[in-house]
Amino acid sequence: MLSKKAARAFFLVGTAVCSLAMVGLTIDSFRRIPAQTHADRITPAVARGKDLWDHNNCMGCHTLLGEGAYYAPELTRVYRRRGPEFIRAMLRDPAAMYPGQRQMQNYHFNPAQIDDLVAFLQWIDGMDLNGFPPEPTLNQVALPSGAIAPTEDRPQVFNQLCVACHTLGGRGGSVGPALDHVGDRLNADYLTRWLHDPQAIKPGTLMPRLPLTEPQIRELVAFLSQLRTEVRP
Amino acid sequence: MKYESQRVAWWFFATCMLLLSLQIVYGFIMGFAHAGYDNLHAIIPFHAARATHTNLLVMWLLCGFMGAAYYIIPEESESELYSPKLALVQLGALVVTGVTAIIGFHFNWWEGRKFLEIPRPLDFLVVIDVLAFIFNIGMTVKNGRRFTTTSLVLFFGLFAAALLYLPGMIPTINQTNDSYWRWWVVHLWVEGVWELIMGGILSFLLIKLTGVDREVIEKWLYVIVGLTFLSGILGTGHHYYFIGTPNYWKWIGGVFSALEPLAFLGMAIYAVTMARKGGRNHPNRNALLWTVGCSIMSFVGAGFLGFAHTIPQVNLYTHGTLITAMHGHLAFWGAYAMIVLAIITYALPNLTGRRRHDAPSAQIAFWTSNIGMLAMTAAFAVAGITQVYLERRVGMDFIVVQREIQVHFVGLILAASLFTFGIGAFIWNFIKYGRPVGEVLPAGASDETPEEAITAGHLEGIA
Repeated sequence: MLSKKAARAFFLVGTAVCSLAMVGLTIDSFRRIPAQTHADRITPAVARGKDLWDHNNCMGCHTLLGEGAYYAPELTRVYRRRGPEFIRAMLRDPAAMYPGQRQMQNYHFNPAQIDDLVAFLQWIDGMDLNGFPPEPTLNQVALPSGAIAPTEDRPQVFNQLCVACHTLGGRGGSVGPALDHVGDRLNADYLTRWLHDPQAIKPGTLMPRLPLTEPQIRELVAFLSQLRTEVRP
Repeated sequence: MKYESQRVAWWFFATCMLLLSLQIVYGFIMGFAHAGYDNLHAIIPFHAARATHTNLLVMWLLCGFMGAAYYIIPEESESELYSPKLALVQLGALVVTGVTAIIGFHFNWWEGRKFLEIPRPLDFLVVIDVLAFIFNIGMTVKNGRRFTTTSLVLFFGLFAAALLYLPGMIPTINQTNDSYWRWWVVHLWVEGVWELIMGGILSFLLIKLTGVDREVIEKWLYVIVGLTFLSGILGTGHHYYFIGTPNYWKWIGGVFSALEPLAFLGMAIYAVTMARKGGRNHPNRNALLWTVGCSIMSFVGAGFLGFAHTIPQVNLYTHGTLITAMHGHLAFWGAYAMIVLAIITYALPNLTGRRRHDAPSAQIAFWTSNIGMLAMTAAFAVAGITQVYLERRVGMDFIVVQREIQVHFVGLILAASLFTFGIGAFIWNFIKYGRPVGEVLPAGASDETPEEAITAGHLEGIA
């Protein structure tokens, strides 16, 4: 039968070996992390952005690299998912961007601070995370049949901004109405005026005035106008 | 109770009760926010509630460990505490530091690093405070007449916990390095040295409650803490799958995490076997219930549920979802909250001289809190699995999914109400015990139970 002395030896040797292995692997990890995370792209703006991230406890609601509090969206790939303009608009006035939804506090960041946070999120977006976040593997299965306008054919600004609140082909946010067949209901002139300033047309509407350039508005109006019933039966 | 100075433990336990109550309040704030009733948003936004909830947990568990050490160490080393006064000062300082931190959270003063939100200046105060505690305990062990494995394991666990707080303070601007060191603190605490503390307390309770030979219990204690470190140290790797660290951590973390349940399984078998083997019919059945319950619930929560989502292929989808909250709740409850409540249940009759351990409210406290926590875990599991499928597998928008799972948080709130009822009964019982006025047992009355003590005329029974 196992003696107390043998049990103690098992504890001491096991702990020592594992601790040494841990220290060795840590040293090796720290040699590899700079390349994997593109540490050379950590500019002063990125560092300031991380500081803002920490000192406002963003991780207390959001997750980043999958770490955080599961109350607000995962932001690891937000830079490519929503793009810098959406992030800026969101940080300027969170309540306007997601009206009536789960609320983010307004931190009253100045434009320079917002740029720093965007730089930080852009740097995070470039990291190699061993396959995280995963592609949604059931994406195609769950898509409704006869879906219109596959993601690749849409303007980039549509994929980043509009889908945050609207759905198209069953995919996107649920704050605003679905945009399927919106071309049947609204003409190009109305859409143009609407995108310039929703409040001017319908005071009290939940839709905020988005940070869109003229070419972006033209591109969106062209795209939305062709979302008609007869386009793809 | 054999030593006058053991009484100081009562103040630590009373602090535990206060902080635990407050922790539950903040839990409800978050539960309601998740269910769609974020009415306190303007005063207590979610991240403030979250940081408060987790930091209160860490604080009351540390208080509980310290109280346990102040109770156990004098008895194990057969000497009075080095300085009961220092213990009280150190408790006061810890509470002031903690309360300052928590008030600070409500005014956006924090470090914003999950679980280690306490602002840097206060970090130093925590370190100084824990060093004072270690010094007090260390001097007691050193001056003691007896060195036992139980006290050494407990002391080493507490000492290593203090030491491992330091990596979290390494300054870095790379988010990955930041997380890397943060897990050295958080993981190596909860899946490393805290298990040592838990093992030490468990072993003390089993020696006292079951009457099984100390040599046998302490031999298996070595095996269990050996298994803990064998799996837990490299098991840190399961936090390094997807944060910008090398890919080999998937292998190392995956394999060693799969071994982690062994330590908890060992602990459960150990406690159950000793309890069955023990000839002594200790009157404090409720303490034995908490002790054995702790070992089983820690296996389910920390061992099994932890293993279930640290498999790299699973974790790819569950990483950063409510699945973590599911595992976290049952793990912390089973392993650490329950061991602290177990030592409190054991120590109170001895500290206060009142024998309320078979009171119906004490039984109710155990069963309702445990059933409540299991139901909470189930609610988190349903919400978490739904989130994983809709968001990670189907690719639906985060906020859309959150609205779909709101209803499960109504279930969570109901389960949490049951849990709160159980904790309420525990605290009510704690209050009924009153202040520590238990008499010190004369030397020679070493391991006797209160009942034996009463028969021998050593203790006035105030039943």
